[in-house]
Amino acid sequence: MGIASLIIVFLVSGSVGISQPTEAQENPFDTEVDERIGGRVFLSECGRCHGRDARGNDETGAPDLTRGRLRTASTDAGLFQVIRDGIPGTAMIGIGWAPDPTIWQIVAYVNTLRIDPGDYDLPGSVDRGRGIFNGKGNCASCHMVKGNGGRRGPDLSTVANRRKPEELKTDLTDPDETVEPRWWTLKVARADGSLVEGLRMNEDTFTLRIMDAEENLWHFSKQELRSLERIETSPMPSVAGTLMASEVDDLVAFLFSLRKESGT
Amino acid sequence: MKSRVLVMALVAPVSLLMGQEPSRPSRKNEAIPSSLKPVTWERLRNAAEEPQNWLMYSATLDSQRFSRLDQVRRENVSGLELKWAYQIPQIDRAETVPLVVDGFMFITEAPSNLVAVDAGTGRPYWRYEHELPEDLRICCGRNNRGVAILGETLFMSTLDAHLVAIDARSGSLIWNTKVADHKAGYSKTEAPLAVKDLVVTGIAGGEYGIRGFLDAYHPETGELAWRLYTIPGPGEPGHETWAGDSWKTGGAPTWITGAYDPELNLIYWGTGNPGPDWNGEGRMGDNLYSDSALAINADTGKLEWHFQFTPWDVHDWDAIQVPILADLELNGEARKMMMWANRNAFYYTLDRETGKFLVGKPYAKQTWAEGLDESGRPIRAPGKLPTREGNVVSPPVLGGTNWYSPAYSPRTELFYVNAYDGEQEFFLREEEYREGEQYTGGGAQNVEPIDKYKSAIRALDPRTGDLRWEFEIQPRSSSGLLATAGDLVFGGTVDGYFFALDAESGRELWHVAVGARVHSAPITYSVNGQQLVTIAAGNVVFTFGLD
Repeated sequence: MGIASLIIVFLVSGSVGISQPTEAQENPFDTEVDERIGGRVFLSECGRCHGRDARGNDETGAPDLTRGRLRTASTDAGLFQVIRDGIPGTAMIGIGWAPDPTIWQIVAYVNTLRIDPGDYDLPGSVDRGRGIFNGKGNCASCHMVKGNGGRRGPDLSTVANRRKPEELKTDLTDPDETVEPRWWTLKVARADGSLVEGLRMNEDTFTLRIMDAEENLWHFSKQELRSLERIETSPMPSVAGTLMASEVDDLVAFLFSLRKESGT
Repeated sequence: MKSRVLVMALVAPVSLLMGQEPSRPSRKNEAIPSSLKPVTWERLRNAAEEPQNWLMYSATLDSQRFSRLDQVRRENVSGLELKWAYQIPQIDRAETVPLVVDGFMFITEAPSNLVAVDAGTGRPYWRYEHELPEDLRICCGRNNRGVAILGETLFMSTLDAHLVAIDARSGSLIWNTKVADHKAGYSKTEAPLAVKDLVVTGIAGGEYGIRGFLDAYHPETGELAWRLYTIPGPGEPGHETWAGDSWKTGGAPTWITGAYDPELNLIYWGTGNPGPDWNGEGRMGDNLYSDSALAINADTGKLEWHFQFTPWDVHDWDAIQVPILADLELNGEARKMMMWANRNAFYYTLDRETGKFLVGKPYAKQTWAEGLDESGRPIRAPGKLPTREGNVVSPPVLGGTNWYSPAYSPRTELFYVNAYDGEQEFFLREEEYREGEQYTGGGAQNVEPIDKYKSAIRALDPRTGDLRWEFEIQPRSSSGLLATAGDLVFGGTVDGYFFALDAESGRELWHVAVGARVHSAPITYSVNGQQLVTIAAGNVVFTFGLD
């Protein structure tokens, strides 16, 4: 293509990155059978980088596809295009050699990886749950929701994008079941023998960052420490002893309402 | 605005809209000056004697990654500071190990490009950009790990499974040879190795049901001199170790650079996993020569001996690690050794004349074997194969180590390796071979966050495999290592540190945040009498020196 014709394309289309299909096109291959077939193709073509469970891969740098919205494809058509063409300049290569229906089936499968609130009919009340969160449950003292709350636990503003209701219930009743390393507790002894304990804000090969119970931040060089202890359990108490089963359901309903909606 | 300016203004955003990343301001290729002297075979053979240069992937033919430079040493390494940085105009993580020749540096860039820069300043001279097809089959990123040089010609692997020869002075293409068909899943990522009057080069594609091989090409013409298939064909010894027709799609690629012993005239090269990776049901047998160290006559390509680390591998534990060659006494007897920390979490010392097993023991957490027998063959632990429901095994797919270059110091007589005590859940599934599609037969997934597992730089005694020291990394490292006569070991981390350790004790002496994953291996060289240390991190090549 010569420069003159390239300019014409630019002026006429307004966008050279012409997408086929169009942005509005919905997936024509989205039955359960398509999802299953797409899953099989995903395992063979995508799983090597994105992981068998699609949760990303540390070695390849491929992102987790199960958490909320995808950065580079917010629609089915966009996802189709990324799978077909890849993302230029990155390790994400396309599988343009595969037939379009196969790519649509992968789209269908990837869509099943993310949590659809329509799949759940929860027994609890969102409003009552909100009240428990800010009151009896004392959750807001540690957890932030949309800018309000404490910092000693994960920000829950969009927790429903990454946790299913049954997982939220386990988080509440058995907080030690899954503790991300970010929420471990570190106990360090400094060279002078003084102790500091707090949440593991960051730990790398050479340094530590800790937030103590008063939300003070501490920074240490590991070489300067006398000792370091990691506590891999959660500092959060279980609600099993303080809330009734129906209140736990209410709290789950509230937490499962906290999501980043499409387009926001 | 004049019409020509208008055209440029319109064309520039077009390239952005098409999804191409903005590149650096265009430079006209400039030939490098005459101070670059031809890199003869004699220079390569004696590369250790010109430590101001870094003439091949692993520095010297014995792959020790040891430099005789000692200007930077334990006493002053804390004074290292940034001298220059070169930004690769691609956002892929760089795996490049540059070459340095007489003050000029050759850096490979994703996807299959090559740039020549001034080794003292980082200023570019020329860039070669290889045109690639759109239908590449690559398992693990748009990687390239470096080039070989012989005479005044550079040799580079490309992702479309070609080998190209490039004029080191001008960056001009001399020849372009198709090594294999990329549409069938073949690709090339490794740095070739110049051996006498040949260029030896491997192949990638172990996740696509290829049949692996190692090739040697004539440097002047690009014609094939010999090819050794890493999976024996019908009638050849070892063919019987593959059930049915499984040998045709059995993998055993050769995707990391090997070593060479001039006295024995043997090339040593590792082979990768058998395919499909995790489902071995259709390829019962030892699957020779997958997951093996091969010793190959450099003139003929004839296989002289082999040592298989993991017979009938079903965990994707490629044996493509860089072989380190060194001569040491063992039990009072002088031995020509080959040192190898394998992805299967065992460390091995072999006799490189015969392939005889001398030493072997785990250097990282492993649960899959009860040990090694007298010949070095693993004694498998029961219940450790991948299953349809998932089965947790150590080491993980990434291994006790992987392709990350180890190093050896003749001063400390220690072998340095980047080790990981991890685990993963391995799965099995059915899969039919279809040409050009991935053919893995399963997969693996993490059980716990990686912060839970121990990662460390470990120093091993090659006479015993015993651990002499370790330096713990948090969370882990995928960096190669460099040892120097300054009694230093350099390495990096996945979260963007570059560091130097005391080669005798493992004590940390210096570190710097380079801001992105170190997924390459450090080199050292000198320009105008100053020792410099270079590492690629993220997509930037950083160079450090003393004030």
